[in-house]
Amino acid sequence: MSSIATAFKYAYNNGSGSDLAAVFTPIAPPDDPNRLRAFYQLSNAASVSLDLPYLLFHGKSPKLPKSEQSAWVDIFAAYWEAVGEVLKCEDRSPGASVITLFNAWKKLANTLIRGYSGSGSLPAWTIPCLYKVGKYLRIFAINADVEAASQGSAVLGFQEEISPEVDKNANLEEAARVINRMFTLCLSDRAAIEESRKWGIYNMTNLLFKIYFKINSVGLTKNILRAIQASAADLPSPDAFPKSHIVTFKYYVGVIHFLEENYAEAEEHLTWAWKMCHHGATKNRELILTYLIPCHLVTTHTLPSKNLLTQFPRLEGIFRPLSNCIRKGDLVGFDQAMAAGEEEFVKRRIYLPLERGRDIALRNLFRKVFLAGGFEEPKEGQPPVRRTRVHVNEFAAALRIGTPTSGQFRVDIDEVECLLANLIYKGLMKGYIARDRGIIVLSKGGNVFPGTGV
Amino acid sequence: MNSSVPPWRSTATAPMARASAYPTTATPAYIPVQARRSLAHSTTNSTTGPVASSGRQESPDDESPKRVEFPPPVRSYVQRCFAPENQVASVSTFEMQEKLKHVITDAAENNKLGMIDWERLPLPQVMVQNERNKILANPASSNWASTQPSSPGNASRKRKSTDGQPSGTGSPPWRSANTSRFEDRVTHPTTEKKKPRIAVDQFSKSKANLEMRRKRFDLDNGKSPSPAGSPARSADADRGPVVGRCQTLEKNYFRLTSAPNPDTVRPLPVLSKALDLLKRKWKTDGNYGYICDQFKSLRQDLTVQHIRTEFTVTVYEIHARIALEKGDLGEYNQCQTQLRVLYAQQLAGHPTEFKAYRILYFIYTRNWTAMNDALADVTQEDKQDPAVKHALDVRSALALGNYHRFFQLYLDTPNMGAYLMDMFVDRERLSALAVMSRAYKPDVNIRFITEELGFESDEQAARFILDNSSAGLLEEKNGAVRLLTGKAGSLFDQAKSAAHRVVDIKGQI
Repeated sequence: MSSIATAFKYAYNNGSGSDLAAVFTPIAPPDDPNRLRAFYQLSNAASVSLDLPYLLFHGKSPKLPKSEQSAWVDIFAAYWEAVGEVLKCEDRSPGASVITLFNAWKKLANTLIRGYSGSGSLPAWTIPCLYKVGKYLRIFAINADVEAASQGSAVLGFQEEISPEVDKNANLEEAARVINRMFTLCLSDRAAIEESRKWGIYNMTNLLFKIYFKINSVGLTKNILRAIQASAADLPSPDAFPKSHIVTFKYYVGVIHFLEENYAEAEEHLTWAWKMCHHGATKNRELILTYLIPCHLVTTHTLPSKNLLTQFPRLEGIFRPLSNCIRKGDLVGFDQAMAAGEEEFVKRRIYLPLERGRDIALRNLFRKVFLAGGFEEPKEGQPPVRRTRVHVNEFAAALRIGTPTSGQFRVDIDEVECLLANLIYKGLMKGYIARDRGIIVLSKGGNVFPGTGV
Repeated sequence: MNSSVPPWRSTATAPMARASAYPTTATPAYIPVQARRSLAHSTTNSTTGPVASSGRQESPDDESPKRVEFPPPVRSYVQRCFAPENQVASVSTFEMQEKLKHVITDAAENNKLGMIDWERLPLPQVMVQNERNKILANPASSNWASTQPSSPGNASRKRKSTDGQPSGTGSPPWRSANTSRFEDRVTHPTTEKKKPRIAVDQFSKSKANLEMRRKRFDLDNGKSPSPAGSPARSADADRGPVVGRCQTLEKNYFRLTSAPNPDTVRPLPVLSKALDLLKRKWKTDGNYGYICDQFKSLRQDLTVQHIRTEFTVTVYEIHARIALEKGDLGEYNQCQTQLRVLYAQQLAGHPTEFKAYRILYFIYTRNWTAMNDALADVTQEDKQDPAVKHALDVRSALALGNYHRFFQLYLDTPNMGAYLMDMFVDRERLSALAVMSRAYKPDVNIRFITEELGFESDEQAARFILDNSSAGLLEEKNGAVRLLTGKAGSLFDQAKSAAHRVVDIKGQI
């Protein structure tokens, strides 16, 4: 008796979707390392479709309608074939190929989809199978693309396709198409919500987003979001879904807004994800923070605390040098840190928002100028008042620290004014420029640099 | 099974289907399927025809052998065929007559003149239309038909050949043939991508196109059967690039709806002469409409012949520059997209120049996601290039709101980047004015604006301010015009946000 069949029957009799999904793994469970091999050796290509009905539905078996039985038989037949390829790859036997494995797995995915959409009409509680199969479809597709790339570009030169990048991800794109069908399968289910495949919508979405980000087609996420938006009325509220689905989904939506420079919305979604994320999921928390920290810098002008960063060494490496320079108002150091981290920042797509941290560094520098300006002549019986009329040259002097004193990059007074004007415009500094007199008139009532205590 | 792939997508690469991709014989429009159904022969399947339901058995049997004498229902049928109110625009009189002749001879030969319900039988023009629709709805059957060795337009003979076969199996012979062919095709789903895109186009067509195409192929067949024999041509189109034979230098652009015809495609030597001609014409005439059209056809000829050389790069670069000069950003973007791919293949050209344009272009379109990708594309060596460096500086100046620096850079733009910057310079002037009107009080000299925002003269600056705000903001004081920044309020902010609405350009990646 195959342990796979046992597992299937057990899961089915208990109505446990996750147990059922666990059956369709390409990796043998640690407590039963021989499971896949045993399953594969039970049959052969010629008789697998005859053997399976016996295996699955004989003995203490769930009583299923004929159509559903045959759907499962088809699915297991496809799975059996895929397992054959998995084993070939594990054994590194001649002819083993991840591409073939991917195609076999894709067949499994398509058979599964047919099981839901066709006459088999598998019940909705079994959708974790879609998650599982979709998850590995993506993984195999990535590996298949790697294998295709390593097989050389002999094929590539022949192609008519516009972009060579298209071919680079051919398998992954194919996977996206299949998973997109799973997505539609979930979204378009009209059954009552208790029995609906709609519960799978966010899991499928997350899988798709993962792929779209990987193949650099973030734009495609819009279609998915629009589809979800369109049927929002029919969907239960996000809180009703499994947290793991929603946290990932919120993370991606946050990042999508982030990339479009909608930092306010981005922050909202990312904060949600951050709060709901499982505390043990360090990697995920780190990912969320990678975008939430720059977001926060742009929206609230605040820097991550030392305490927060020490929990995430990788993030500390990225953000600590920049944070320090911003805090000190060290513009030269800031530019250097940006240049040093540029590759990493661009790769993570956080370069553009981080660059805006320069405004904060500038604000901090000018704040120092203001503080260094000291107080007005003290008047009898009155508390000391800071000097609020500062000559533009004083700011220029601060800006020129560490920068070339001549040539194209010499900071001239007009540029200093321009930077000051920007700070005033953005509300980082209160006052106005009286250009004819060459002075900056700062707010008298205190609160010259809002939020910084002066 | 890969059911997500439409049958025709995978067809083109399946070896068996090669010949079918470009039907060179008569159109598949004349598959006998439809005709048989409606005519209901005396063979076993007669029950499916309308006759069975009509039950008109009262016509005397002895009438049928007299073939020359047509019963009145037949005559009225024929009359109705020619009645002007029954004509169908898409079916020519000739086609209709052929069909009619066919219907009547068939009925007469099979002694069924009296058995057919002529009142209800569809008119021949309707039959022709139905057949066409059927083919459109079912491209697989058209494939099948075209692979059969049949001479053009002999619908009747083909029909007879199927008629002779017993149809006891329930499914007609062409159906079963078809399904096995379908199986053939779908076993090669992964090769789908390798087919040249031209093969796809020919299936996406309207009915009228189908008809036009049929005629074209008919024509070809009649005229020149031998030199580029039909199988050779179809194989060409599938396996590799077309090799052009056209010798004329100029050619109007026409978006292909079918496989390219080698007779209208110019080979490389001709293309390179054509490019010289175009360059000359652009210098002398400067007619952009003409030039753009010519360049598009030039690019098309390169594409269909799979020419990807330095010459290709040159063509795209020149077209891109001309499009830039004329502010045709849609066309420019097409070239830019292609160029990026071509540069990736190390085909010389001026990659840094165009990388710089690309960055400026994304500033203009405010496509930040793409901008991030563009930044990722820039290497350390690229940064040494003055144009790339300039573009990067422009971007960073804008990101930080440093209009001072931005307009300095604007006045000193390498290559043709200024054409791109012109597209967004006014937008940035408004942004800068919004900042200034918030920061400077009570007013500033107009000369300051002129210098700071890269205007050519005080007049131009003043005109710009008036166009985008209200008249009261400018005031003459002590012989100088001053901008009353303190009174501007949010006027420039409004103008700015109107100007910063996302730019949408067709075909943008």
